Formats: sequence, C-alpha cells, structure tokens
Amino acid sequence: MHCGELSIQPHEVDLRRRDSLVFLMQNRFGIKDFVIVFLLLVIVATLWLSMIQRDRQWPVLQSIAEQGRNLDSRLAGIEEKIRTGVPMSSSASSSSSAEPVATTKRDESWARAGIPVKWQPEPAFPNDPTKVPGYKVGGEFVEIFEGQPSKVTPYLYADVYGSRVVDRVSESLGSFDPKTMKLVGVLADAWQIDPDGRWIRTHINPRATFSDRTPVTAEDVRWTYMDFIMNPLIDADRTRSTLIDIFDGVEVIDNLTVEIRFKDSLFTNILTALGEPILPKKYYTQFEPAQINQSTGLLMGSGPFMMERIPSSAQDLSSQWTPGQDIVLVRNPNWWYGRAPLERQRFRVIKDDLARLVAFQNNEASLVLPTSPQFNTVLRDNPDFEKTNYALKWVNMRSGYSFIAWQCGPRGETGRKTPFQDVRVRRAMTLLLDREKMIRDIWDGIGTVAKGPFNPESPASDPSLSPMPFDPDAAMKLLKEAGWEDRNKDGILEDAQGEKFQFEYTYATGGEIGERIARFTGDSYKKAGIVMTTRPIDWSRYQDIIKSRDFDAITMAWSATAPESDPKQIYHSESMAKGRDNFTQWSSPAADKLIEQGRRTMDEQTRMLVWHELESVIAQEQPYTFIRVSPWLRFVKRDFGNVRMYKTGLSPEEFFFSGTSSQAKPAN
Amino acid sequence: MLPYISRRLLLMIPTLIGMTFMVYSLIALSPGGFSASASAAAGGGSPTGGDPRIAEARFRDRFGLDEPLLTQYLQWLGRVSPVKFGERAQIDSTGERIYPPAQPPQMIEFETWVDREQAKSAATIATAAFTAAPSGDEARSQYRAFARENRASREAFVTSLATLRIALAQYAEVTGQGSLVDARGEVQASSAASLRIDKNIPQWAAVKIAADAAFSDSVKAASSRASLLACFQSAPFAQAGIPLIPSIISIGAPDLGWSRTKNRPVISLILEALPITMLINLIAFPLIYLVAIPTGMLAAARRGSWFDVLSGGLFIALWSIPVVWAGVLAIGFLANNQYLGLFPVAGLSATDASTMSFLPHMGANGFERGWLLDMGWHLVLPVVCLVYAGFAVLSRQTRAAMLDNFNADYVRTAKAKGVSRRDIVMRHVFRNSLLPLITMFVSIFPSMLSGSVIVEKIFSIPGMGSLMLEAIGLHDSEIMLANTVMIGCVTLAALLLADILYAVADPRVSYA
Repeated sequence: MHCGELSIQPHEVDLRRRDSLVFLMQNRFGIKDFVIVFLLLVIVATLWLSMIQRDRQWPVLQSIAEQGRNLDSRLAGIEEKIRTGVPMSSSASSSSSAEPVATTKRDESWARAGIPVKWQPEPAFPNDPTKVPGYKVGGEFVEIFEGQPSKVTPYLYADVYGSRVVDRVSESLGSFDPKTMKLVGVLADAWQIDPDGRWIRTHINPRATFSDRTPVTAEDVRWTYMDFIMNPLIDADRTRSTLIDIFDGVEVIDNLTVEIRFKDSLFTNILTALGEPILPKKYYTQFEPAQINQSTGLLMGSGPFMMERIPSSAQDLSSQWTPGQDIVLVRNPNWWYGRAPLERQRFRVIKDDLARLVAFQNNEASLVLPTSPQFNTVLRDNPDFEKTNYALKWVNMRSGYSFIAWQCGPRGETGRKTPFQDVRVRRAMTLLLDREKMIRDIWDGIGTVAKGPFNPESPASDPSLSPMPFDPDAAMKLLKEAGWEDRNKDGILEDAQGEKFQFEYTYATGGEIGERIARFTGDSYKKAGIVMTTRPIDWSRYQDIIKSRDFDAITMAWSATAPESDPKQIYHSESMAKGRDNFTQWSSPAADKLIEQGRRTMDEQTRMLVWHELESVIAQEQPYTFIRVSPWLRFVKRDFGNVRMYKTGLSPEEFFFSGTSSQAKPAN
Repeated sequence: MLPYISRRLLLMIPTLIGMTFMVYSLIALSPGGFSASASAAAGGGSPTGGDPRIAEARFRDRFGLDEPLLTQYLQWLGRVSPVKFGERAQIDSTGERIYPPAQPPQMIEFETWVDREQAKSAATIATAAFTAAPSGDEARSQYRAFARENRASREAFVTSLATLRIALAQYAEVTGQGSLVDARGEVQASSAASLRIDKNIPQWAAVKIAADAAFSDSVKAASSRASLLACFQSAPFAQAGIPLIPSIISIGAPDLGWSRTKNRPVISLILEALPITMLINLIAFPLIYLVAIPTGMLAAARRGSWFDVLSGGLFIALWSIPVVWAGVLAIGFLANNQYLGLFPVAGLSATDASTMSFLPHMGANGFERGWLLDMGWHLVLPVVCLVYAGFAVLSRQTRAAMLDNFNADYVRTAKAKGVSRRDIVMRHVFRNSLLPLITMFVSIFPSMLSGSVIVEKIFSIPGMGSLMLEAIGLHDSEIMLANTVMIGCVTLAALLLADILYAVADPRVSYA
C-alpha cells in the first residue's frame, strides 16, 4: 500500500504542475492584471469623486443664479421707479380727474390729415387676476404637446406647437379681443386705416418694451416685416409668400409711427399687417441669416412670458432650447402692461394619448388636450374628476368644422357630371343626413351641427341662421323635382333616362371616425334610394385628388385661426380654375358679388353684414354639407385660478396658482 | 484577408447607391411624391386669397422640385457622396455650406413676344461686371448682399413665370386648347411651343403683359446670378473639402440636406436623436445578451429539465406579447398614480431635473434622486419593453447551437478524457456555438441606431424611431434618405464585421 501511494504521488504532482502551467499560459491574474485593474479602479473612483465634487458645487451655483435673478428683478423695479418716478407726482394729481384726460385731444401729429384716428383701449388682462379670490403669485403651469415642436423661432417654426409658444412670448400690433372678437390694439395704441384699404398707419404705444427693456419702435416693425420676413435669405417662406402678395412697402414715419402700404385693397391686409408678431431688431440683427435659419429657440418678444434661456449673442447659440428638452418660459419681469401671476410655463411632449391623460392625472401636467372619447370616458368613469379639474368644452374662434363637399362641376379625370350640379339635389343631400344623430353616435355627443363656413362664435356668422334640419320627406320632394325618383320600383332612384343615382364618397383612411362617418352617410342615403360607393384613400393623396377635382363627394375638415378669413379662395368662381382652391367648382353670381364686396369693405360692421348675406347664400346653395363644429376640449387642474374660456381660446397669462392641491409643487 | 476586406468595401459603394436609389424611387412613386413634403411644409393655402399656384411655384423652385427626378437624385447623391465633382462648396463661419448659385429656371421662349434686339441687350446685362471687395469681411458681406439680391430677383422671376403659365392656361382654355393645360392648371414651357396664337383674343393681352414682366424679370434674375457666381468664384469663404483635381474632383464631408417639414438641417436632427436611441439600446442589448445567453446555455446543459422547459415557455410567452399592448398596460397600471404609480409616464427626465444634483444623495428633504438616477428611473419602462421580447430568440438560438455541439464527437472525446463538465460547456461547446450568435448580433446591431418606433412613440422618447416615423408621416424625403444612408452604412459595416468575426471565431473559415 505504502509503495502504491508513492507511485501515485509523482503523477499527482505532475497534474498540478500542468494545472499551474495552464494558469500561467492563460495569464489568469498576474501582477500586470492587478496593476491594470487597480488603475481602472482608481480612474472610476476619481470620476466618481469628481462627480461628487461637482454636485457639491451645484447648490452653490443654483443659489448664485437665484441671487442673480433676484438682483435682476430688483434692478428692474428700481429702473421702473426711476422711469416713472417723475411723472408719478403729476399723474397723482391727474388720477383723480381721469375723465378729462380721456376727453382731451391726444397728439395726432403723426397721423395723415383728414382721416379719423382710431384710438385703442389700453391693453389689459381680459379678467384681472388680482381681483379674483385666492390670487397668488408664482407657480409653474405645465402644458402637454402631442407632438415634438421642431423649433420655436418666430416665423420659422414648422408646426402648431411652435406657434403656441410664440403666442405666449410675442405680441403683435393688434389682436382679437377675447370677449368681443373685435380687432384691438396691443402694441399699437392707435391706427388710421385708409378708407380704400390701401394703407394703414399705426402708432405704437410709447410704453411698450421688449423683454430686454428696449422700447418697441416703428423701426422694429419695419425691420420685422421688410428685413426679417421679406429677407429671402431667411426661411420664413410661409409668411413671406403671403406678405409678398400683399405688401407694397413699410415706411417709418417717426420713432413710434409706421405706415404699411398694400398692393390691393382687401380687409385681410389689415388683419395680416396687425397680426404678425413684432421682433426686436436689436436682438435679432446679432445673428446671421444662416444662424437664424438653423436656430431652434431664438425667441424674444414683448409678451407676458419669455424663454428661460436664449442666446445672448452669436457666440452663445449653443445655449438655446433644442427639441427633446422641455420648453420653459418664465414670467417676463419687464412686461410692459402687467405681470403674469405664473412664475413659469413648461411645455412637455407626450405623444401617446393614454400617457398624456395618465400624466395629467398623476399631476405631472396642468393642462392636457383630451381626445373626444377620452373627454367623456374620464367624466363618466370618475365622477369626482371635476372636483380637482376643470373639464372645459367650448367653441371658440379656433374651432374648425367638418363637411362633405359635393362636386358641382364636371369630375376631374372623367369629366362625368355628378347629380350635385343641381342645387335641389345638394339641399336634399343635407336634408337626408341626421347630423344631430351623427354627432351623438360618432363623436359621443361632443360638437354642434355646423351651418356654414363661418365660425358660429364669430361676428361673421349670423346668429339668426339655423342649420338645415333633418327632413327626409322634404328631401324626397326636392329629389323628385330634380327628376330623381324610383321609376322601376327597385328601391333605387333613377332619372328620366333611367340612370341610377349613384356617387362615390372619398374619405381618408386610418381614422376610425372617418370610417364611421362613411358608414353613417352610406346608410342614410341608402334608405333614400341613393347608391353610395366608398373610396378610402391615403391622406397624402388628398392634395392631388382635390387639385384635379377627381371626386364626386369628399369629406374633410377646415381649421380656423381667426374669426374671419377671406372666402374668395374657396367660394369664388374665379378660384374654380384648376390648381386653385374652389375644388367643388361651385359658382354662384350672388356669392361672387358678395365676396368681392365683402373683401373690399374696410369697415368691420358693414363687412360682417355682407358675410351674413354670403352665409345665407351658401346655406341655400349647399355646395358643402356642413357637419360639425368641433369644440375645444381641455382638462385643467383646479390648482389654477382664473381659468376662463374666451372666444379666442385660453389666456394663460392671467392664470394663477392657488395651490389647493398638496401634490402639485410651485416652482419657488 | 486585406484584399478581401478592400473588395468588400468597394462593393459597398454600388450597394449603397442602389439602396438609396430604391428608396428614392419609392418616395418619388408614392402618392404626392416629393412635393408632398413641400405642400405639408407650406401649410395649406395662403390666407390672402392669392393664387396658390404661384406660392407653390415659388416653393417648388426653392427646393429644386421642377428638375427631372433623375437630376434631383443625382444632385442629392452629389451632396451626400464624400467624393464631390465640380466646383467645391464653401463653408460660412456659421457652418452653413454655400454652393455655387443655380441657374434660374428657363424662360418660356416665344419668338412673337420678344424681338431679337431686346434679347441681345439683355444678354449683355447678364454678364454684369463684378469687382471683388478687398478684405475678407467685406467680401463676405458683399457676398451676402449679392445672395439676397439673387434670391429676391429669382423669386420675382419664378413668380412672374408662374403668372405667365397661368395666363397661358386661361388663354388656352378660352381658345379651345385646354389639352395643353396640365394637372396643375398651368401651361408648361414644353407645351407652350405648340400653342396656336391669336392676338385678337382679349385673354392674349394678359399673356402679353405677363410675358413682358417675366422677360424683364428673367433678365434681372440672370444678371444677379451672374454677379453672384462671379462673387462666389472669388471664394469669399473657406472652401470645403480637399481637392484631388482642382475644381473637378474633391473629397468632402457629406451634406445630408435640409428637412423641409422641420425647417432644420437633417444632420442636427439626427445628432439630437441618435444619442438618445443609442443610450437606450446600449442598456437594452447587453441586458438581452446577459440574460438570454446564460439561460440558453443552462437550458442546453440541462436539457429536458424543469429549468429548460420553464425558461423556454416563459420566454416564448414574453415574446408573444405585443409591445404596443405591453407599453400601454405599463403606462396604465405601473405609471398611473391611481394604480401603482411606480414609474414616470413619459420622457427621459423629470420636469425639475435641471435643478437636480447629478448623483443621488441625502438632502434636506430626505433622499434625493439626482439627475443620474432620475434618468435611470425614467428608462426602466422603455428598456423593459424593448428587452422582454428579445430573450426568446436569442436564448433558443444559443440552446440549439449548444445542443448541436453537445452531440459532436469532440465533446464525447473530451468527456472520455475526463475534462470537467464546466470546461466542456464553457471552453469547448460555447465557443463553437458562437457562430450563430455572431450572425444574430449583426442583424440586431443596425437596429441599435434605427431605434424602436413603437417604444419611442409610446414613451415619448425623441429618438431615431420617432424621427423616422414623423418623417414618414410628413413625407419628409430628406430625413428618410439620410436615415437610409446611415442605416445602410451601418448594416453593411456590420455584415463585414460579422464575416471578419467568423474568421476569428472559427479557424476553419478563411478568406485568403
């Protein structure tokens, strides 16, 4: 046994040696490795420590920034006092006699002689927040965007989100009064309009300043129009292509007076001239056109809010907002006619419908746009919802409408004449459609029946006009008059030649709503003996089909941004030419006359009466079957006060954070 | 090996060109074609009641959409290609690339409108003299003034040319020659030549006025272009790239173009989106590999055991859950405060992330997350949604490959020799099972850059998937093409890499 053990031993030693050899060959963990690992550890530790060091500096940096902001606002206050200090004593004496001041003749040396000057009321909050109980200063308002804005530089932005941000930061010469929807001055305190509509001379409010406290001058207006928008090196094509067609020139009369001349006399000229945001020349001229084109967040104006960070010079362009970050606006401490109660406004992007609603319910957002089904579902499922949130639903000037357009001329490709050339048929088509029921069934009752091309809230729409009723009997009578009746008793209408009443209905694929409208209309017309075939097509082909007029009936929706727009492009017979926008090829001499008359009427009151007449002509002729006006839907947290629905939308500059909820946190 | 790699690299060039040409043709053939993005960007009709055809003509000219499609493709290829032909572009101090000014569009020629003398005098104006400014700064501002002037006069010419085409269309309709009017409602230069002319028809007067205006505008456009070209040739800015044969061939950085719908350079859009997608995928993919491969190995080693069955079943079950559904459920239950509310709903960081410190620490109000942890917390749901479906394929692949090798002769030999089981699995079987895993990696790698469309949309992550989805929705051809080039390059590179790795992993493979 002893011997045997001895004989085994060398073998075992040998094995171990081989193992150690393998160990050496594979270099499992040598001194070299130890050094490398040690160095790596040291590097990681150093990185970690440096991060900790940076974090230690962070609060210090924050407090310095905070101090800077405080100093800045205090300085602004002192400057304000210096500026207003002297007239304070004189105004104190005149304040008791405010009436005489208003009646004394104001300086009109800037105006053209012989033409009345329209002085504008001083701009003010639509509803003064300081008078609302619970008023507090501070807080952050978080709004959710459904898509990613690509830039917020004025005139260069490419989507609706850009325009929403610019609206908060910039001001134009005039805008629509939230309550009356009349055009009133913002930066302009007075204007003169040529009775022929060939020019407008505006006087800028001498108090108006941009957020960097430089005063707004006539030169800023001229520069914005002629050297920014009209500069072909700047990619403001959308606005420029409008201005090129209408502007004849912009002339600075004196420091605060500017005259804009037009090529033609149209009422839209005035809306355009007064409605575009005015930019500070001093700020924007620091940048080359190429830098402006590539910019994402070069936004400065005179409005209630300003961007949290904007580049201070051309070397500082990297500090601007870029897509992917939240857009943060802060209160403009130098706003020239008031102070927004909110400290900040933040815009976040959440693309998913459900995620948006969840974020709102989680208190991560203060305002959200629910979809139509969401609006009702949330209210139904959660009876307490309105205790902590406002569920707002109202029609305002930005509400669009949906419609079915009937081909009144020959159809594009084939030249086939549709039955809709006969006004009686078009009227019957509308009478056959129970639009109340459509809204109830398809949109869950959200919306109102549309009656014409003008927004029902706009003064352009005649309140006494009501939409066509649902009346199948009257419709059948009209169809019979037009020669359509069921002659061979097969349940389908025929004309005198025995031709069946059939048409093709074109709609966009991809939306459930579109499918349901198609099904509803198809059923309605089938009951009346009309054969409707459907043609679902991709949205991208719409443009082509509309341009070539290759449809019998097509459904769409128009959106609106102002209480009135020029009806010529859609309803005038001149726009029937191929490539233009009267794609139904509807022509009516009465409508043409009214459109020509209306667009050259500068007086708002008279023009509205013309539009009322036009509205009734269109309602009589029914080139479109107007279906539904879509109201605005908004959920807003009740933590915010003074949330009011205006005819122009919402006015976040007068919201305030009342802090009833413990979860929401104010910014300060 | 080296000749093989260089051969493969050279083959990539025609492959890439073919790929981009395919995508380009698909966009061109799709309804709306290239002008779809133009009209999307133009944002509907102008509110003035002006003729939309004129605004569209300006837009088409601006983006060169009036050129034949093949020319447009070649122009695009020329910009993207690192090898450039012709005059070199110049680079502004702002980083903008400046190309030689393009020819203004062709005037509709009509002998009857313009007498020869007038045309000749115009030709002399077109070669207007230019004197270069002395200093660099002055030359640059001189160039900008010329550029502005050129753009304005070109635009004026395009406008009056469109007016002329419309006037011709009206004339053609009246004189019964409506067949010459195209779908856009205009008479194009090609068909204008065959127009019968009757000067007594009142509509002719409008044509004449429009033609005269267009002619004088064409002269102005040509002369301002001539001055701009002269100014450009004096090279006021730094020239881009390296010349190989001066003013014929040069090498320069690719120019991915300008997104019409977003009004921004494509390259900066990609540079914003790419890091986000890469961040998510650099977390997700190692996670998939770290879970799937060991599971697959273990399942193969203990074939038929409860672990094998359970892991296989679980992974297949996960794999069959649609991401859309899982994502919505995750938001609805895990992120909603009314239910669990464990995770944030959307985005990459909290609203107050900019005021957070970097690292988590104990602050005055207890534990504070810090920026780093906050981002990690936001990434949990998107990463989970990206990862869970990926386990099945990879772990099954690993298991199958390992099982194949387990039955091989050399494994039996190793077992007979008494090599430990661990060594057999790790050193012999696993190494030989790597080949299919390399193939898998290659197919996965390009998707690291292209991003996940669904996950990015649900969780509102502004990555490459979102960018591409938006681009497709808006018909933004520039972004789509840039993406194609990028993904194409990466895929080809990954394929090459895989082939090289084969040779490294398996000595039997060689490319001599």
